[in-house]
Amino acid sequence: MLTKRQNLMEAIRGGNPDRFVNQYEFLEIILEAPLRTRPKPGEIITNEWGITFNWPKDQLGPFPVHDDEHIVLKDITKWRDVVSAPSVEFSDESWAPAIEHAKAVDRKDKFVTAFFASGTFEMTHMLMGMEAAMMNLYEEPEYMHELIDYLTEYEIRYARQIIDRIQPDAVFHHDDWGGQIASFMSPEMFEEFYLEPYKKAYGFWKDNGVELIVHHSDSYAANLVPYMIDMGIDIWQGVMTTNNTPELIREYGGQISFMGEIDSGVVDCKDWKPEIIADHVENACRRCGKHYFIPCLTQGLNVSSFPGVYEAVSEAIDGMSRKTF
Amino acid sequence: MSKIEEVKSNVEAGKTKLISGLVQEALDEGYAANDILQAMIDGMGTVGDKFSAGTIFVPEMLIAAKAMSLGVDVLKPHLAKETSISLGTCIIGTVQGDLHDIGKNLVTMMLESAGFTMVDLGVDVPAEKFIQAVKENENVKLVACSGLLSTTMPAMQATVEALKESGLSGFKVIVGGAPVTQEFADKIGADAYAPDAGSAAVKARELVNSL
Ligand code: B12
Repeated sequence: MLTKRQNLMEAIRGGNPDRFVNQYEFLEIILEAPLRTRPKPGEIITNEWGITFNWPKDQLGPFPVHDDEHIVLKDITKWRDVVSAPSVEFSDESWAPAIEHAKAVDRKDKFVTAFFASGTFEMTHMLMGMEAAMMNLYEEPEYMHELIDYLTEYEIRYARQIIDRIQPDAVFHHDDWGGQIASFMSPEMFEEFYLEPYKKAYGFWKDNGVELIVHHSDSYAANLVPYMIDMGIDIWQGVMTTNNTPELIREYGGQISFMGEIDSGVVDCKDWKPEIIADHVENACRRCGKHYFIPCLTQGLNVSSFPGVYEAVSEAIDGMSRKTF
Repeated sequence: MSKIEEVKSNVEAGKTKLISGLVQEALDEGYAANDILQAMIDGMGTVGDKFSAGTIFVPEMLIAAKAMSLGVDVLKPHLAKETSISLGTCIIGTVQGDLHDIGKNLVTMMLESAGFTMVDLGVDVPAEKFIQAVKENENVKLVACSGLLSTTMPAMQATVEALKESGLSGFKVIVGGAPVTQEFADKIGADAYAPDAGSAAVKARELVNSL
């Protein structure tokens, strides 16, 4: 039997995997690594960028607060005065748990994985709100380029630290680039603003020992796949069924792989049923096949909103492996 | 191209820096304010269609809506209080438990551009607040509920049911948001569903005209 890591490599290289790659099994994500303050349920916090997050107890997750009093960036032309990247230097003590975790991983079996969120586009809308983050691409393109470069430099500084501390084999990187049926911006605009910065950031990770770039965008983004390839993404995690994944695999398989196809929004609900999940998993595996595809919930971590759903998906994938291989 | 066609195409192209001047020039050339407004509404209609078709994206829609609203600012003093174009008041909000508002805001812009007077209740809006807004505002013809989380679909259902059972009348209910489908809209008794902001404006106009 291949190790998880070997099996993944076989699947994304079009070789001979001996089973389906099962969701996030090949990634050992080192979430202990210091990055920034994150809210817990029931909390309101202001993080190191000055962005305030509110997570009401009864809600699924946190939300940035963008009222007049809390929004960080009201006027993009003044971004240099108000946006200040936090330090990426953390004490040995704060790194200790991450280093310990990374050490305990058998790298033949799994990829030690750095986690990076929020991505550059997400950072722009966390700082100024979604509407401004998109309108300013038209109205103040020069300032947006500057801010995006600044955010990219921050990512690279952080990458340098975490690479130094835990020598990750992979990075799992969030940046949502679309909604359910469309990308947020046109491919041309995406190319103009985000391609080069991402090439630079992902290039840095890769030049420094990171073998695998896994990018999370749980959305439609089929029209952005050529840029994903160009910027060095190995696996797009979060691919929703609205993308026509089988078609993408036919067209781009070998240059990039697709991880997802089991829409969290549909199966991860309060009254979930193992049978329904098994149907979705079976469809996904049959449609997409053994190569360049990893069946997975579209959610951006190895968890589900409702207890048991993630595990039920994993079990169903094992079942499909037994049937298919 | 006539000045009024120029206004229309500059709304479509989201020329926020040019639009105020163009509207003023159109007024100076003697075009009626209502006709200029109609041209802008038509321009936004085209924007909506292109968005539905996937040929333009969120930034283009936002920028066109901003152009339109700058144009309307110039027109306002020249418009009769109740223009023939008004489609009535629409109450809109994201349902309780849900804080996503990008989709709702786009729908708000498109409905406003189509001629509705919009009352935006924001996000995390309980059913009672929708009902209260129907009571408190004049000429309410439409209530629009947005929801992006599968976990808040029950809240959407509860809102639609509460509106239907409130005894209030004279308005229709439209729902939308990524997890919402026509089937779900039918199941919860909403009057209409639209998959995106462009078609929301088209549907809303049809609905109100059928009242
Ligand atoms: C951007 C985004 C965010 C932003 C929101 C910023 C904002 N101001 O709204 C941020 C990062 C803050 C966020 C937070 C959260 N999010 Co979120 N988010 C998204 C994302 C990526 C895109 C949504 C979006 O804006 N789409 C673009 C707009 C233009 O499209 P739209 O909203 O669908 O609207 C269009 C149509 O649906 C329609 N429409 C919309 N409303 C209406 C109303 C009417 C009447 C009509 C006719 C039509 C209509 O017209 C619109 C325009 O065409 C989706 C992923 C996805 N694939 O959709 C997740 C997603 C919706 N989020 C999700 C989750 C879980 C959350 C969080 C709980 C936790 C988290 N992941 O951080 C919190 C939410 C807390 C809460 N209680 O609400 C999940 C929901 C899963 C589920 N179970 O349903 C999704 C699907 C991601 C995922 N797969 O996990 N999110």
